[in-house]
Amino acid sequence: MNAVLGQGGVLLSLLAAAAGVITLAVGLVRRRPLLLDAATRYVWLVLIGALVAVAGMERALLTDDFSLKYVADHSARSTPLLFKIATMWGALEGSILLWGLVLSLYLVAMVLRFRDRTRDPLFGWALLTAFAVAVFFFGLMARGAPADPFALVSGRIPADGPGPNPLLQNHPLMAFHPPMLYLGYVGFTVPFAFAVGALVTGRLGEGWLVETRRWTLLAWGFLSIGIVLGAWWSYEVLGWGGFWAWDPVENASFLPWLTATAYLHSVMVQERRGMLRVWNLSLLLATFSLTILGTFFTRSGVLDSVHAFTRSPIGPWILTFFAVVVLTVVGLIGWRGDQLRSPGSIDSPVSREGAFLANNVLFAAFAFVVLLGTVFPLLVEAANGDRITVGRPYFDRMTTPLGIALLFLMAVAPVLPWRKASGELLSTRLVWPAAAGTAALVLSVLLGARGLAPLIAFGLAGFAGGSAVRQLVLATRRQGWHGLIGRANGGMIVHLGIIVIAVAFAASQAYGKRAEVRLTPGQSATVFGHRITYEGFDSKTYPNRSAIEAKVRVDGGATYRPALSTYPFFTQAIGTPSVDTGVTEDVYLTLVSASSDPKAPVVIGVNIQPLVAWLWIGGGFVAIGTLMAMVPGRRRRPTAPVSAPVPGADDDVPEPRQAVSIGGGG
Amino acid sequence: MTSTIDARPEPAEPSGAPDRRRPRVAPWVALGLAVVLVGFVALLYTRKGADSTVAPSPLIGKPAPEVTGPGLDGSTVRLSAYQGRYVLLNFFASWCVPCRNEHDDLLKFTARHQAAGDAQVLAVIFDDDPATVRTWFQKNGGTWPVIEDPNGKVSLDFGVRGPPESFLIAPDGTVLTRIIGEVDANVLESLVAQAKKLGAGS
Repeated sequence: MNAVLGQGGVLLSLLAAAAGVITLAVGLVRRRPLLLDAATRYVWLVLIGALVAVAGMERALLTDDFSLKYVADHSARSTPLLFKIATMWGALEGSILLWGLVLSLYLVAMVLRFRDRTRDPLFGWALLTAFAVAVFFFGLMARGAPADPFALVSGRIPADGPGPNPLLQNHPLMAFHPPMLYLGYVGFTVPFAFAVGALVTGRLGEGWLVETRRWTLLAWGFLSIGIVLGAWWSYEVLGWGGFWAWDPVENASFLPWLTATAYLHSVMVQERRGMLRVWNLSLLLATFSLTILGTFFTRSGVLDSVHAFTRSPIGPWILTFFAVVVLTVVGLIGWRGDQLRSPGSIDSPVSREGAFLANNVLFAAFAFVVLLGTVFPLLVEAANGDRITVGRPYFDRMTTPLGIALLFLMAVAPVLPWRKASGELLSTRLVWPAAAGTAALVLSVLLGARGLAPLIAFGLAGFAGGSAVRQLVLATRRQGWHGLIGRANGGMIVHLGIIVIAVAFAASQAYGKRAEVRLTPGQSATVFGHRITYEGFDSKTYPNRSAIEAKVRVDGGATYRPALSTYPFFTQAIGTPSVDTGVTEDVYLTLVSASSDPKAPVVIGVNIQPLVAWLWIGGGFVAIGTLMAMVPGRRRRPTAPVSAPVPGADDDVPEPRQAVSIGGGG
Repeated sequence: MTSTIDARPEPAEPSGAPDRRRPRVAPWVALGLAVVLVGFVALLYTRKGADSTVAPSPLIGKPAPEVTGPGLDGSTVRLSAYQGRYVLLNFFASWCVPCRNEHDDLLKFTARHQAAGDAQVLAVIFDDDPATVRTWFQKNGGTWPVIEDPNGKVSLDFGVRGPPESFLIAPDGTVLTRIIGEVDANVLESLVAQAKKLGAGS
């Protein structure tokens, strides 16, 4: 029943998407506006199909329908409700189903947003592209295809299943991190589709770009939240005290984030000065391609990773899709690229556009470094057959200077005017940010921070924070609470979030400490200035697991319960850390080993992680800032971007006017 | 800086009329990019898949649980009989696709260590019919001992969730590494070499 429901849903979506592609293709080639109108209706069928399929899957999971292979392999009767629901995206096939659902939501949103322009060929091509992407993903789930979530078990139907991977049923964040990530990942399909539409129709002006900027921002915001939640999940669950390991799958989510971030900055140069068009288009196309490549890395098992789903025949399919996508877009750029070339050029490197250009160079370099580190093992293996891993040292060494340079830009760029800055103007505008940077540096030294890289990071963070706050103060002083919304001001809130994350990241990388203590019940030890008292353990039995929970008092205050859990079907014990979260540092406790004898000593791991809580707070800032940036600012957006220098206009704009124009959408 | 004024948001540009003063470079750039990307995709296509994931296990660093059981040839196979050699305890089923994929690597590994006699593969059947496995080995080669494990006791002792899964065991019987998924002959070599260098368990 559930399988029939699900398969029917997938089939409906697949057929509707295919019908959409065909109808649009005919309508566009033969110029039949009625067909273009009609095609938009198929998005509803795609959505209905996806909803039915998801309902079938959730129903199967909730009713323990073990006749479905997916349920039999990844769920159990004893799995708690939340994790039964979340199991839909806990393994390969279900995660593609979530992908399909999110994609169909974006399709509907596209049609609703552009319902007045359904006859516009540019929109038609964009919708066709999005439908084609949907055909691929629903095709993957069709009956007998490699990611069919509704395949039935062969032979006898089992009475119970093994349940999800223990790591995926041990923290509620599991229910939120993947959907957020997918909302981001899949959301890049929309700007990608519009970019393809613009290339095909040859209408390469800025119009479509203004339309889709906010879509990119939305996807970017979700992706940022998804990445931060993923880091949080790994901190709370994996028990090694860290939150980011440059794992291939983490990199896979980070790569499109980098290119999308670059785009969100450089698109302003295009809107304002009409420059960097090929580049912007390439960034959008690259972002989407990287999401597909990332999916390939995650799903094909081609790279070693803690996240990798086991190898499945889906790999070659996704790789083929990736090849089709990149070759199509490269072909389109080759065809249209010369029409895109921009009319202007940058007058002075010390200008807003110069800073954006530098920003883009840095982000591109960052993405290249991360991509190289991710695929380097494959290159080496192809060359001489050796299996190597590229570890943290590579990523730390390569990305630290890039991160520091980006912080510096973040400090200087927001105060730079367009076109050209005079030294005098810069020195007046940079006084307060520079003072904030110096104060941050002095303060960190006084508080005992040492080491070149972290001190540079803290100083520059103060500097950059100063710049962002200066901008927000100027804007709110002028416009009241309106000064917090609009692209530039929201962007400054995002900057603050990123700065907070950068500081927390640098601090925890540089000053995190780890020790293990062996304690008998009632015994205490002082570790890095914290008094750790072990008070014995409780043996607990939950429906889905049994656990040994140590009771550990930190500094005579609250009791924390790091645990070791055993799940039926999984002999390996899973550690659950317990964290004393603080404003300045976390005391991160893990139960390393315990025996069943209550009197015996246990080994407790103690991790001191400074400022980690600020990573999540910074993530919150990013989310709020993105939201603020999505709200249109007070000024309407410019309909005609300035693309050629107008005599007399390239003198520096006086400060107040400049800030107002930034406050809008300009 | 030739400036074509192009300020309208949706200019109906005459297509295919590039500015004469500018040579057409986009097709060449695109061609170069396409070549690089084709190479990249070809590289990814030909990768076998690094499915072998070294995974944590509570057994690592501890003496391996004793493994005894009827072998496919009727004799009794004991893990302890192989002390003094590195043992790769390989959980196997003929129905498991990755197990078939890794078979060549196991053959290679065995061949490399045959002369020195310093390493040995031991297979444990995971949920499979011994007769099927026997035919399978006859067809595909592989002369290492295969333990039947009819009640799944060995799999339980080692916490094996599903084949293929392998444990590298030191000459003194200490568990060194747990590998989930397909093994790779080169990775096994480097694991053994690393263990020898550290003098672990010898």
